[in-house]
Amino acid sequence: MTPRLGLAISLLLAACSSSAVSVEEVEALPPTTPVEVRVLLEESEVPVVLNVWASWCTPCRSEAPLLRRAHAEQGDDVRFVGIDVRDDQDGARAFIAEFGLDGFDHFFDESGAVPADLAAYGVPLTFFFAPGGELIELHSGVIDERTLALQIDELLRR
Amino acid sequence: MEFSLLGAALLAALGLYAVLWYEAGRTNAADCTRELWDMALGSAVIGVLVGRLVAMIRGGTNPLTHPGDILIVRGGVDTVGAAIAASAAFVFMARRDLWTRLDALAPAVLGGLAAWHGACLTRGACLGTPSDLPWAYAEHGGGVTRHPTELYAALLLVVGVILVIWWKRRHPPAGIVTGTAVAVAAGVRLATEPMRPVLGAGLEWWYLAGVVLGVGLAAGRFLAARSPQ
Repeated sequence: MTPRLGLAISLLLAACSSSAVSVEEVEALPPTTPVEVRVLLEESEVPVVLNVWASWCTPCRSEAPLLRRAHAEQGDDVRFVGIDVRDDQDGARAFIAEFGLDGFDHFFDESGAVPADLAAYGVPLTFFFAPGGELIELHSGVIDERTLALQIDELLRR
Repeated sequence: MEFSLLGAALLAALGLYAVLWYEAGRTNAADCTRELWDMALGSAVIGVLVGRLVAMIRGGTNPLTHPGDILIVRGGVDTVGAAIAASAAFVFMARRDLWTRLDALAPAVLGGLAAWHGACLTRGACLGTPSDLPWAYAEHGGGVTRHPTELYAALLLVVGVILVIWWKRRHPPAGIVTGTAVAVAAGVRLATEPMRPVLGAGLEWWYLAGVVLGVGLAAGRFLAARSPQ
């Protein structure tokens, strides 16, 4: 590969993968607790997709574009909540900016207490809650398009 | 790497090999199986890699700055990009006797695709849109019965394998079997796509283009064979 061709490909890749949001536009994530999250779920009148993520988590990078697309399509009917665990604010804001996930309601959970309270461990995790906070499904690990679409469809039909 | 997908890929390879083995000495030369297998596997690897890169770029991840993300295949492989890249790679590798090799491999590719879709049974990922038909069912504690869409695709592709082998045994002009197989593969996806739960725009236009391409290819090869040299 010639240097010129390599540069052209690099520029193309960089252009294709540029984020839609700048880090400065992303506010610091409010800290939360397991109790606050449970109240949020119980008081929600719409289904909730709750994604546990972290900026240091490589698999989270893989599913982030899919979650953004799901939010863009279903955000009017489903509430998307992000719980950033065992992370730092700078990394979290950069992650949100890079993947354009600013439409989610993100919370900061430095100790990882929220997923532990929901009896789940590891990152990423995706919970599907019916209105009122009933847990319908927990998906551990990277979620794929088909599973996400099916579970959201299940939530909306309840 | 997501291991249930890896298992499905292995089943697909097994399906491809099974049809190649079955056809060896029948409609294929007895000694060409190994060569076709190597070419098909090489093309598939190139296709998956390109498909993954396309999916990453479309999803906003730069492969140059995050090369490790390439391995997390469950995050997405762009179907169209993968199919085009795998086809181009095979055409390049088989260029010295292109039509004969394409026709020899065509039924096996359909067999591999049938196994790939049928592998949904091992992954618990067969279901599509809601349905009240008697064979619709629910899984993962879901409250809604659904079409077993992936099984529909697998069964249709098995029918496609039988159809293409039957057609091949009538010794049509070179390239017609390939065109038929392309039309069958794209047609099966086109027929089942409305029963798939998807996020984002569907791929119906791409599959329709695949059907047109396959039919056009078969018709073009037929006319070329009939025209005086």
